[in-house]
Amino acid sequence: MPVSGIRKVSTSQVSVALTVHVHPCLKFDVLTLSQNGVAAFILQCKRLDFHYCDWAGSSKGMNSFLKHTLPRFARLNPSVEITVSPRPRKHPIIRGTYINGREKVVCVKNLQKEQILEKTHLLRDASGEKLKRVTKPVQSINESVRGIWSPYHGAGRTA
Amino acid sequence: MKRIRLERWSGQFLPAARPSCLHFRCPNVRRQSTVSSINPEIHYEDGPPSFLSQPKAPLVSFPPNSPDPERALSSPKLAALHARLQLPSKLPLQTLARTLVHKSADSDPRFNNTSLCDLGHKLLGSYAAEHLICRYPRLPLAVLFAAMWAFVGSRTLTMISREWGVEAAAEPGVEVDPGLLQFMRLKPGENIEGEFENGAIPRPNERRGWRRGMSSRIVYDDVFGDHPSSRDKTGSESSEEGTPAPQSVSLSTASASFVRALFGALYLHAGRQPAISFFRMHILPRHLPLHQLFSFTQPTRDLSRLCAREGFESPVARLISETGRRSRTPVFVVGVYSGEDKLGEGSGGSLDEARTKAAAAALRAWYLYSPGDIRVPSDMEDGTAGTWKPVMIDKGEVVV
Repeated sequence: MPVSGIRKVSTSQVSVALTVHVHPCLKFDVLTLSQNGVAAFILQCKRLDFHYCDWAGSSKGMNSFLKHTLPRFARLNPSVEITVSPRPRKHPIIRGTYINGREKVVCVKNLQKEQILEKTHLLRDASGEKLKRVTKPVQSINESVRGIWSPYHGAGRTA
Repeated sequence: MKRIRLERWSGQFLPAARPSCLHFRCPNVRRQSTVSSINPEIHYEDGPPSFLSQPKAPLVSFPPNSPDPERALSSPKLAALHARLQLPSKLPLQTLARTLVHKSADSDPRFNNTSLCDLGHKLLGSYAAEHLICRYPRLPLAVLFAAMWAFVGSRTLTMISREWGVEAAAEPGVEVDPGLLQFMRLKPGENIEGEFENGAIPRPNERRGWRRGMSSRIVYDDVFGDHPSSRDKTGSESSEEGTPAPQSVSLSTASASFVRALFGALYLHAGRQPAISFFRMHILPRHLPLHQLFSFTQPTRDLSRLCAREGFESPVARLISETGRRSRTPVFVVGVYSGEDKLGEGSGGSLDEARTKAAAAALRAWYLYSPGDIRVPSDMEDGTAGTWKPVMIDKGEVVV
């Protein structure tokens, strides 16, 4: 009796092998994708550069914006780095730099400070992507819950 | 007439003042003194104590290579990063600046992120592992390791750092903005493989040519179940063994070290709970299609073994529907049944393919089982958690 027991143990040990693998193509390429806004939201606008000119009349509104409106805007948006620098003898511009590496530039010549604040909000809220026409309202990286329609399932319809 | 501002000139050309750091970076010894530092009249019976006998190794790296910690307070980039990540105010800007200094930029361990990176690596590994194991108790080990790599591996952390908007300095130095990631870049033509060699832990039986099985991956290898030399490492283990710090590293190594160091710093400054919630905010919601990671060699055999082990009736494949059997493009839909229960379903161009796909689908459904409410062990570290309900522990994957 003990002999058969020993044989059983030994045979089961020989044939042990794990059978589930990760696909070899995937081994070094398994990555998770970010879903910005699912739990944490990262504002995509990284930096806003304000350029003004001391002399030119087109910068009048910009200079007033920098003096009166920008400190409050900067306080309300701490996650955006703000730089102010002169650009002599040129029209005033605002340049937004985004996390995806792109930039967006708006010329604000001859605008009032309220209008410049609107442009600043536009740059802050932009994602940095190229402007695209959105035809489908929902985009998802998840697979469809219902799956692809199949003619071989369900009651079907007779011709 | 324009006045020359001498004070501005001097500020530009003098070496950067670093009063606080200079003070404690330089050892408090007058170097040019002729008197020996130990008083010769004192005789120690058991020999001189160890702190006197060994000459003090100069810990200093002078001139300093990383920006002054005080400058972190006035860096707009750093403040913006702090606000963008919604870090707690307990984490000071100086520490955030330190997490951005890789050891290839500043070899002084008090000013680079090596120790924080080490701690963060361990924290990330344990949080990700407990989440995956408690949520998917039947996950096979190969898939578990791959999922760990997908959540907290170097490549993912590099992507996370990019998505957080962290920029890298072209070259490390004292004058660089503290909000930039600092590391010594690889020169063109430099061997990338060189940086993987650091921190490799030799296996005891490697020289004998022993096979690397899943069990040895559990025992010897890192949290991703891989030999440290085969993948990009945290780069932190090399420092204590006296091996020189790498001269230059890739951007991805430095970025990953920043994310790890940030977790370590968060844990040290703000505590356990903010670190866990930061992990749940930024790492866990990332999208990972786990079901695509599986690869079965013989799913039909595995499924019958599984049914035998669990005491189910042995699986039977039945044809559900078909079309065009005699045509060029036939489609068969096959289900795998155990008694009356359908375990899985698959469709394919031949009966065999459909049956294999059905068995693989059944196995996937088994392995990806998730119990409803999930509590992980680290939840219990919070004092108000109540009593611990044990999580499900599975028998393990099918062994043939």
